[in-house]
Formats: sequence, structure tokens, C-alpha cells
Amino acid sequence: MPTLEASTKLPPSTHEFAEVIHRLEAGGAMLPDTPENLMQIIGIYKAYAVPMDFYWRDLLYIAENVFLNPLPFFKYFLPQKYLDLPNHYAGDSADLRIWRGAATAHPELLEFMAKGETGKMPKLLHHLFHDRVNMEFAEACMQAMLWHGRDMGWGLFDGYLDSDEYRANADRAITAYFKYNPPMLALYKLFPEMFLEQCRMMSYTANLGLFWEVMAPVFFEMSDIYDEGGFKGVPDAMNFLVNGIFAIAGRPIYHHVYIRGECFEIIPKSKGFMWLYEAALPYVEAVFYRTAPFRGTKSYNAQARQVPADQKDFHYGILYADVFPVGTAGIPPTLLMQDMLHFLPPYLVEYYQQHCRGEGDTLIQLGITFQRSMYCVTSAVIQALRQALLYPLDDPNPKHLAANRAFFEAQLDRFKRPEARLRDIQTQSYR
Amino acid sequence: MLSALIWFPVLGALGIGLWPNASAQLIRWTALGIMSGVVLLTLGVVLPFDISAAGLQFQELLPWIEPLGLNYRLGVDGLSLPLVALNSILTWIVVYSSTQSLKPKLYYGLILVVNAGVTGAFLAQNLLLFFLFYEIELIPLYLLIAVWGGTKRNYAATKFLIYTAASGALILAGFLGLTWLGHAANFDYEAVQHIVDAIPAGLQGLILLTLIVGFGIKTPLVPLHTWLPDAYVEASPPIAILLGGVLAKLGTYGLFRFGLGLLPEAWTSLAPLLAFWAVIVVIYGALAAIAQHDIKRMVAYSSIGHMGYVLLGGAALTELSIVGAVSQMVAHGFILALLFYLVGIIEAKVGTRELEALNGLMSPIRGLPLISALLILGGMASAGIPGLVGFIAEFLVFQGSYAVFSWQTLLCVVGTGFTAVYFVILLNRTCFGRLDNALAYYPKVLWSERFPALALAAIILFLGVQPQWLVHWSEPTTAAMAQVAAAYEPSAERIGFGTITQAIAELTHPAAPPTPLALIPPIESTSPAT
Repeated sequence: MPTLEASTKLPPSTHEFAEVIHRLEAGGAMLPDTPENLMQIIGIYKAYAVPMDFYWRDLLYIAENVFLNPLPFFKYFLPQKYLDLPNHYAGDSADLRIWRGAATAHPELLEFMAKGETGKMPKLLHHLFHDRVNMEFAEACMQAMLWHGRDMGWGLFDGYLDSDEYRANADRAITAYFKYNPPMLALYKLFPEMFLEQCRMMSYTANLGLFWEVMAPVFFEMSDIYDEGGFKGVPDAMNFLVNGIFAIAGRPIYHHVYIRGECFEIIPKSKGFMWLYEAALPYVEAVFYRTAPFRGTKSYNAQARQVPADQKDFHYGILYADVFPVGTAGIPPTLLMQDMLHFLPPYLVEYYQQHCRGEGDTLIQLGITFQRSMYCVTSAVIQALRQALLYPLDDPNPKHLAANRAFFEAQLDRFKRPEARLRDIQTQSYR
Repeated sequence: MLSALIWFPVLGALGIGLWPNASAQLIRWTALGIMSGVVLLTLGVVLPFDISAAGLQFQELLPWIEPLGLNYRLGVDGLSLPLVALNSILTWIVVYSSTQSLKPKLYYGLILVVNAGVTGAFLAQNLLLFFLFYEIELIPLYLLIAVWGGTKRNYAATKFLIYTAASGALILAGFLGLTWLGHAANFDYEAVQHIVDAIPAGLQGLILLTLIVGFGIKTPLVPLHTWLPDAYVEASPPIAILLGGVLAKLGTYGLFRFGLGLLPEAWTSLAPLLAFWAVIVVIYGALAAIAQHDIKRMVAYSSIGHMGYVLLGGAALTELSIVGAVSQMVAHGFILALLFYLVGIIEAKVGTRELEALNGLMSPIRGLPLISALLILGGMASAGIPGLVGFIAEFLVFQGSYAVFSWQTLLCVVGTGFTAVYFVILLNRTCFGRLDNALAYYPKVLWSERFPALALAAIILFLGVQPQWLVHWSEPTTAAMAQVAAAYEPSAERIGFGTITQAIAELTHPAAPPTPLALIPPIESTSPAT
């Protein structure tokens, strides 16, 4: 996507975020184009990609193998098979090679899994000491997608979960899974909807795993390109994301379950659910914007109308999140922040040491960097939607440009809320 | 040894003052070294101190200006020893926590002089000598507030000066009255103690009232307290520690040493009035603290309220209540020092003391979590939560005073409830809640800055779980004081305002020429048993 000068065919916007809108119209991002911002977001993408490499593998493991295990104590104990599971967008066997690295688990991830913060010890002890990757974060994201997806009924994927076909597929898988477990089978007969709901949750687990399987190599590649001096600014990084989104937009979203060696296709690939519409957009809507209150140290008083009456009006996502204290909004960013802390590139570690409390509050600083980077990702999604649904930025027709502007303004209306961090990320003093 | 405690810091102050071209840092370290020496000297007094003896120990006597009755007589007993130790420890912390670059020689020199003056006052066993030491710390403290204080420092310092000068004048008047009316040979404490019974009961009451008002200003007791909030708030945090932790104890010490110690009969008679006064002090201090929006001012009013417990313990005159009152002086010193220190840290890091502006400091990464946690501990100690030294002191006072002044004690217990109210307000608004994104870029608190607070918290906790270490120093002394006072308990003739008025009339129009001391008959049914 070419970077353009701001359009001179339209009068300046009078929107509260006019400056940001003009930047978007010029092919930029919501995040100002500064070398500091570029360095921050690329560095954090790298730190995000490594735990994400674990998230997607474990999510698929849970969705495909753990499935409806009523006591899933070891669902975060990723078997070697899934550590070696080749990523479809990295390595020699890739369907579409986005990252030049290996298809198996990232070496930094393997090293951390072996040592953790404490040192080498059995996996069980690492787990009990919580010296591990916080899969709870990934599951919280999945639950947000499930919750808001069910509420909003967005896309074909969510609608399919209510279809007779899905129920029949799920029924076969559930019956097979509990074939040798009569009590659970009896429970299933008594409360079929409960098991079906659990199955839907597993489908969303697979959905998110497949979404992140794409994003992890995208972020790894961006980090590599930056290290090679490839990105000149924030718009370059955003455009890489936009191009990546379009390149893999058609990636199928499915849910397969493996029971005693047999594959049950609860959501077959043949349904044609596309990555962009059935995973990426619901993910952004549910996780970036909405998620849920009652997380972290701040509790919300629903009776005092601190929580919107309508679930679709929720605004507790990372774009609004208060990462200062310990993660007071939405999906607990502290869990992800803790994960990213282990994989920061050296230049970002050095950068954080120079600001605020240095090592003492790196966790917060990287959380805010993450917030900046997610504004860049959201910018990419907005630009991708504009590209898919509206007109090019250099369209000569003023009416088309006006339509683009209306679209941008409508998108930025969502950040007029006082909690939105869009105002904050416009300056570097927000750390 | 006792003289060393007084003169070592004075020599240190002189040395610092005469040291040419020394950097502020070097002066601070030197002052700290001197105070470390003072702490060691204090240990040299504390360790060999006989805790089973009620009387004065390590006595020193140097005849000085005999025509004036002024002797350099020092001694320490169970009443003064804990306060001397408190003074040494808190002054060490004051020096440690000061990083003064403006006129450092004067600043640290004055602190050392204040330390010497306060120690001297606690140790002096001659009334005039006490008065001299009592007055010596006046000008240094005035300067410490006026030069290094906040925006209204001149106003606060002048007010402090006027009030404290008035306090000194009243105390001097009381001492002169005692000595002259009793025809004592000199101003030595023991000499005055022996002639007090020769003074008519009404005049004793009048003198005691004079002393109570004099020391009440210093303590301070409501309504003589109005200098305190301004002085505490405008003083820099280390000086506020000096004022609240140490200087206020001069007032309560004076009440016990010279009020109760010299005039037990009058004290016994005025005890109901004092207990009622204590209730007013406790309730007023707590309610005023609840109304504050500035956390330093809140702590200042809290300090006023807590002095009421000391007064109640003294008024009840039981062994338990008096030892409780002395314990409360020490406990209050440590707790107030901790609270003022923490408030100082919060102000330095956050830039405000306003309750409305403070929030979420407990936040673990960007807040001041340890400082907040210690603030909670300090608040709990002040509110008398068990396990902390504040509980021990207040419990002893209440346990000792309930049998004598039941409803007054119950009202003071209600006062501790109010203490909990304002500390919950303070802690809830300051420590909890949401840290503001736009403001919360506070510098981190260094371990060197945390150290004094941790040390004070450790003392508060240790004395809370091992109260014997707090009370056994003063038990024999306070028990003896209680016994002396008990001898006056059954007195049929209580000193009331009527007898005081009568005494004033007698003073103004003496009916007979002064009677020689030896010829004064014992006062009817009020002679002490011992």
C-alpha cells in the first residue's frame, strides 16, 4: 500500500481526532509515525510472538485433544507433537511462507519452557510455581470471543454453532469421546446443552488457535525485517500487516477433534469459514474493543451503572485498558505482560531502563507499548476494511474520499470514550 | 554518662558549625555519625539501668549558681529513660532522613542542639536547669521551621515561638511559685518535692493549673493546640518527626514529672477535671482529623487526640494507667514518627498531600506499595490494633483508668473508634482505588528511603508483640508515683475552683506573715503515707 500525502480534495475534518483521521487518509496509522514508536511496536511484536507460538499450539492441543476432559489438569502441558507441529506459515513445509524461520516451536520459547525464571526443574514444578507461559491469558481471549460472538451473532462461524449440522457433528464427537466413560455419557444424556456449549467453547478455542498460528509468524517476520533495517516508519509496519491480512485472509477456520486416533470434523474445512471474517474481525471486536469487566484490582459496580447494560457496549479491551495498576480492565493484560517480559529484545530492555522506574516498572512500560502496538494492528484492520469495502486512498473521486472519511470518522467515534487510550498514545509521555 | 548524652551532640553541633568548606553530604554523614554516637551512649545508659529500682540512677551533681538555687543535677529513672531513648532514636532517624542542601551546617547543627536540649530536659533534676533545657530547643526549632519549612513557614514558626514562649513563661512561673511559696533551699527536684506539702492546698492547685497550662501548650492539649497543626504541617517531614515524636513528649513528661510528681495531692484533686479534659482532647482530635483533607494535617490532629490518652492515664493514677500513659508517650513517638515519615515520602514522590488528589498508591508497580503497606501498619498501630505497640499502650491506659473514670474511659474508647474512621478514610483514599494514568509517574522509593520506615515499623511491631520491653523500664517508677498519689486518694478535702479562688485571695491579701517551713503544720488528712 503506498503512503500518500493527506488528501487536499476534502476540507479538513472537524472530528475530535481530525489529526488521526488525516493521518489515516494519508495511509498512516492511528499511532504517530516516529522512530520511537516503530522501535517499540516491533520490539513488542517479537516479545508477543514467542508466547503466542505457545498459545496457538496449546489452544489447538486443547481443542483437538483435551476437548471435553472434565478434569483437564494437564491441558497446559504441551506434548512434543504439538511443539513440533509445523506452522502453516513458516518453515519449509509452509502453505504460504510468511516467516523465514522454522516451522516448529521458537527456540526462545523452548529455552524458557525448560528453564523458566527459576531454573531447570520438572515441568510440574514450573507449572505449580506459575513459572511458565500464562495460557490463562489465551483462554481469557477465547472466552471473550465466545461470549461476545454468541451475543452479537457475528459472522457465519458463530451462526454455524447453532446449526443442526454442528449439533450432529458435536454429538458424534462427544459420544465418541465418552464412549468408555458411562457416567459422563449419562450426564451428556441428561444435560446435552451443557456439553454442547462446552463443545462450542472448544470450537472457539480452535478458532483462536488458528488465528494466532498466522499472527505469530507475521510478528516474527516483522521483527526480522526491522532488525535488518527494513521498516522506515510505522506506516510500513502497518502496511506489512495489511498485506499479511489480505494474503492469508482465506485461510480456513475449522475445528477437528482427535479421539483415539480418529479425526472428528466438528467444523470441517469444507464449510469455507475464512480467517479474516470468522477469526480476525471477531477477535478484534471481542478482544481489542470489548472483553469484560471484573478483572484485576478494580471492580465495577453494575448497580451504579459503571457497567453498560448492553454487552455489545462493553469497552474493556486493550484499546481502553488501564495497564497502570495491575491490569484493571478487560482481559488481564498483566498475564500477557508477564509473558512478554521474558522475551523482550535487548533494545527494548535498554529503552525501558531509560524511562520511568527502569527495571522496576518494565511490566507497565511494555504494557503501554503493547497498547500502542495494538493501535497499529487495529489501524491495519481499519485500513484493510476500508480497502475491502470502500475506496483507495488515492481515489480521484471526492465522493469516494468523503465515504472513506465517513468510515474513518465512524471508526474513531469508538475512541471518543474517556477511557480510550487513543489520546494518550499520541504522545511519548504516556509510558 | 548522662552529661555525655547532652554535651556530645552540642560539641558535635559546634564542630559542624566551625567546619570550613564541608559539603552538605559530608555534614550529613558527620551529623549521622554523631547521632550514632548518641545512640550508643544511650545504650550505655539503658543496658546498665536497674529496672527494679524506682528512683533516680546515674545521678550527677555539679553545684552551679548556688545563690539562684541552680545546680547542674542530672538523673534518670523509669519515666525519663524511655523518652531519652526515644529522643535518641528519632533524632538519628531525623538526621538520616534529612537531605538538606540549604545551609546544611546550620540545619544539622540545630537538630543536634535540639537533641541535646530535649535530652537535658528529660535528665534535669533541677527545676531551673529543666527550664533552661526546655527553652534551649525553642530557638533552634523556630529556625528549623522558619528556614526549611513550607510556604507558610514564617507564620507557623512565629506562632510556635509565641505559644512555646508562653508555655515557658507559665512553667517558670509555676516553678518559681513552688520554690518561693514552699521556701525551698534551691530548685533541685528533691528539695522542691520535700517542701511542697508546706504550700496550701489551694495554692498547690493554682500552681498545678499553671504548670498544666504551660505543659499543655507544649503537649498540646485542646484548646491550647492551635499552634500545632500549622507547625507540623509547615515543618519539613524530618522536623515534623522531631516536633511530634519528641518535642510533644516534653509536655507530657513535664506534666508527669512536675505536675504529678511534685504536686500529687493537687493532681489527685484535679484528676476528674483532667480525665474530662482528656475526653475532650481525644474526641476533638479525632473529629478534627476526620475533617481534614491534607494527610499531614490529619496526622497532626491525630497526634493531638492521642495525647488525650496520656492525660487520661495520668488522671486515673493507677499503676496500670500511669505505666500505660508512659508507654503511650513512647508508642505515640514511634507511630507518629512513622506516619510523618511516610507522609513526607508520599509528598516528595507524588507531589501532594491532598486526599482528593491521592489514589491507588498501593498499586504494586507504579505506586508506592511498601510505603502504602507501612502507612496501613502505622494507621493500624495508631488506631490501637492488637499486635502493635499502640494497642499495648492504649489497652494499659484503658484497663487502668476504667475502674476510676469509667465513662471517661468509654468515651476515649469511642475516640479510638474515630481514630479508625479517619485512618480508614486516609488509607482508603490514599492507598486503594485506581491509580490515575495521567499522573502516576512517581519516582520509585529507594531502599535507603524505605529503611527508616522499616526500622520504625519493626520497633512498633516488636514492642507490640513483646510489650514487656516497653513497660518494664518504667514500671517501678510509675508504680511509686501511683503509690504516692494513692496516699491522697481518700482525701476529704478536694481542691476545687473554690479553694483555688480562695488561695488567690490569700495570696493577694495575706492574713499572716509567711510561716517558716519548719513551723507549717501538716495539711489535714492529706499527708502522703510515704
